Amino acid sequence: MFEDIPLLPADALFGIKQRYGQDDRALKVDLGIGAYRDNEGKPWVLPSVRKAEKLIHEDPEFNHEYLGITGLKSLTDGAAKVILGEDSAALKEDRVVSIQSLSGTGALHVSAKFFSKFWPSKKVYLSNPTWANHKTIYEVQGLTTSVYSYWDAASKTLCIDGFVNAIKSADEGSIFVLHACAHNPTGLDPTKEQWVKVIDALREGKHIALFDSAYQGFASGDLANDAYSVRLGVEKLSEELPIFICQSFAKNVGMYGERVGCFHIVLPLKETSKTLEETKAAISSQLARIIRSEVSNPPSYGAKIVAKILNNTELTQQWHEDMVTMSSRINEMREQLKNHLTSLGTPGTWNHITEQTGMFSFTGLTKEMVARLETNYGIYMVPNGRASIAGLNTGNVKYVATSIDETVRQFST
Amino acid sequence: MRYIIPVKYRIFKHALQSVCKVSVVFRRFNYTCSKLVVPEAPSDKILGLNDLFKRDQNKNKVNLTVGIYKDEKGSVTTLLSILEAQKIVEKSNNHDLSYLPIAGHEGYRKAVKRFLFDECVSKGEIIEQERISLIQTLSGTGALAITSRFLSTFVSDTVWISDPSWVNHDNIFEKNGFKNINHYSYVKNGILTVDEWLDDLKRDPGKDKSTKPQAVVLHACCHNPTGIDPTKEEWERILDEIYNLNMIPIVDMAYQGLDTGNLKNDAYLLKMILNEKKYKSWSNGIFVCQSFAKNMGLYSERVGSLSIVVPPNSEGLKKNIDSQLQKIVRSIYSSPPSYGSKIAYSVLSDPILKEKWFQDVEKMVNRLTHVRMEMHKRLEWPDLINKNQQHGMFYFINLNEKQIKYLRDKYSIYLTLDGRMSLSGVNSSNIDYVCAALKDAIS
Repeated sequence: MFEDIPLLPADALFGIKQRYGQDDRALKVDLGIGAYRDNEGKPWVLPSVRKAEKLIHEDPEFNHEYLGITGLKSLTDGAAKVILGEDSAALKEDRVVSIQSLSGTGALHVSAKFFSKFWPSKKVYLSNPTWANHKTIYEVQGLTTSVYSYWDAASKTLCIDGFVNAIKSADEGSIFVLHACAHNPTGLDPTKEQWVKVIDALREGKHIALFDSAYQGFASGDLANDAYSVRLGVEKLSEELPIFICQSFAKNVGMYGERVGCFHIVLPLKETSKTLEETKAAISSQLARIIRSEVSNPPSYGAKIVAKILNNTELTQQWHEDMVTMSSRINEMREQLKNHLTSLGTPGTWNHITEQTGMFSFTGLTKEMVARLETNYGIYMVPNGRASIAGLNTGNVKYVATSIDETVRQFST
Repeated sequence: MRYIIPVKYRIFKHALQSVCKVSVVFRRFNYTCSKLVVPEAPSDKILGLNDLFKRDQNKNKVNLTVGIYKDEKGSVTTLLSILEAQKIVEKSNNHDLSYLPIAGHEGYRKAVKRFLFDECVSKGEIIEQERISLIQTLSGTGALAITSRFLSTFVSDTVWISDPSWVNHDNIFEKNGFKNINHYSYVKNGILTVDEWLDDLKRDPGKDKSTKPQAVVLHACCHNPTGIDPTKEEWERILDEIYNLNMIPIVDMAYQGLDTGNLKNDAYLLKMILNEKKYKSWSNGIFVCQSFAKNMGLYSERVGSLSIVVPPNSEGLKKNIDSQLQKIVRSIYSSPPSYGSKIAYSVLSDPILKEKWFQDVEKMVNRLTHVRMEMHKRLEWPDLINKNQQHGMFYFINLNEKQIKYLRDKYSIYLTLDGRMSLSGVNSSNIDYVCAALKDAIS
């Protein structure tokens, strides 16, 4: 009963943030945070966001009237084009149901509720490792999760055979949660050829693909490039099966706190006894019911900003440039970190740092090494060795490299 | 009439049949289908009416459906205090668009706690005693959803809701783990039925509430949809009974300020519940689901809070609850949206701006009262101005569905079918038209 409610352990990242905040060393580096920082280590408001905000505030029509339950249509329509492509066949055929969600988590949660209602016995497969919250989101809704092989720790490469084998040995019609790009936490994505293998295996097993797209455009600076897997999936899988897409605008618009995202369901091409309109209406009504029971209707401010960016050519152009600014700085930092480590002759291989993409690098540093980096050097990262590259800048990258070098040598015999 | 879901389910079954060929789905479906009897969601109704309204060509048309405040000119404007706060947010603290903590904006949380529990109900000591676990929520709905998720996990899956109530109440509890959703009598022929209400709470399945406590949703003021609230004396009787039955009060505070025009006065129910001389210990906590949607006019920004007040001398409990609430939030949306909370924080943390907000609320209520008076002049319906009974933005009108449809067909005046009329849609340019139409519909 009430007095028996147990205490849960604090969020690991929160602990890092707290210890970092209390650390009074002059030189300290936060590689825990999952948010972009500029070369001064400061949060960066994208110029496209600034401009959109200004336009919104100047608009005499700006008010706080409720959005519809399924969200702002100019956002969801624009967002569907962003992820599926302007000339997407699915969009032309009007096969997509899109609703606004509270960023990626909100979309994943809605998918979990949807699955638990209609497919309660399907198993949900997650990559090993994956974003810590994935498992909770699905299990809280009573779904069973399992894992597919992904990261090979010894070689620090993608374990593609294990990945494909897991798909092949799963029960027909299982659900596979795929990171669309910039895999979290490893930063390692399948190559285009490997994606073809993965998608083909999914098709063979009649599995349901769910793409978690949290870093589109942030990873490479190019929206189409970062949506390669999603578009391939839609092209090859949507003959008979629905496809689910959880889309976040937290990172690529740099507006983490406003919770802007979308949940899309691409319906199969195959003709059925029901008209497409009826099917779409039925699905929308179910999604609306879920939203209604938890938040009534989604928050509008961030949605209006993103919609403004997506529906104004000049702002869209600016946004594309902003994504290039972020991704190229991150890639530059990857390059510098790797080069420093290589020239220091740090034991081990470090190519994976530049082969990985997105916010994070799965460094391969052990828990003990991470602890030593924190204690001796004030460098903070998640115990599994995940470092947020966004925390690096020209002022600290060399320091981080030499600290890693010293630490790795301590542990190598 | 109200239960249209089976049709939807049938359509959806076929939809899924086409979508996937897994037999399990259909078994589950039939099961779900036969078990679920859910009333049509009211907002769908409202949205449907809005669409009809938009298409209506009658230039005299009047929309009295949605619970949004409109000014004398019939437009939705932002409160002056909120406009100022927006400027402050734009200028100062909106350069950091980072995630808020899972539990929400820290300044906001502190300010809301201070506002509700100290300023409104003078119970600052419970804050000092660390007995309030407060998180930022997506307005009232978000607070209710997390309440029901939390209670159904740890304490209770039985709840009592007034009949009628805001229709989403049932949906929220049902979708968030509650197994037993019961309804207590509330009104009959426009009169509050407290005796029946209390009899309902005492009857099966409510008998044994000590081993398995049950929750009860109480509208803090401006009952939705009836606009009829118990008097203070009636509330005392009700609370005494609820306390004796060891029930868990869930205070739904969506319209604070819109009753009397005074935000502090409108917190009276919370104040009564927190009277610890009378009610020593609500052993399974008090749940306060509060929203700034209406009283700050921040509807779409989704700003509100959930406070769980733990009993005296329950060391450590607050901390445990904090951790569990965070787990729930993390699995639904990770962290709440920040813009609205920054605005509300600007208002609450600046005494001058807060005073302006108080005045804005008073102004809204003055206009609504004026509308009631003017309608009364024309219609002479006593309940329009009976302050003991009818409160807030809504007027629960004694018309049947046929009459309501008649209003829509003949006059293009739109009300929801349950007879809830949003008074803020009435203004000097349409009041004669509306009143004449009402007279006609009733005869």
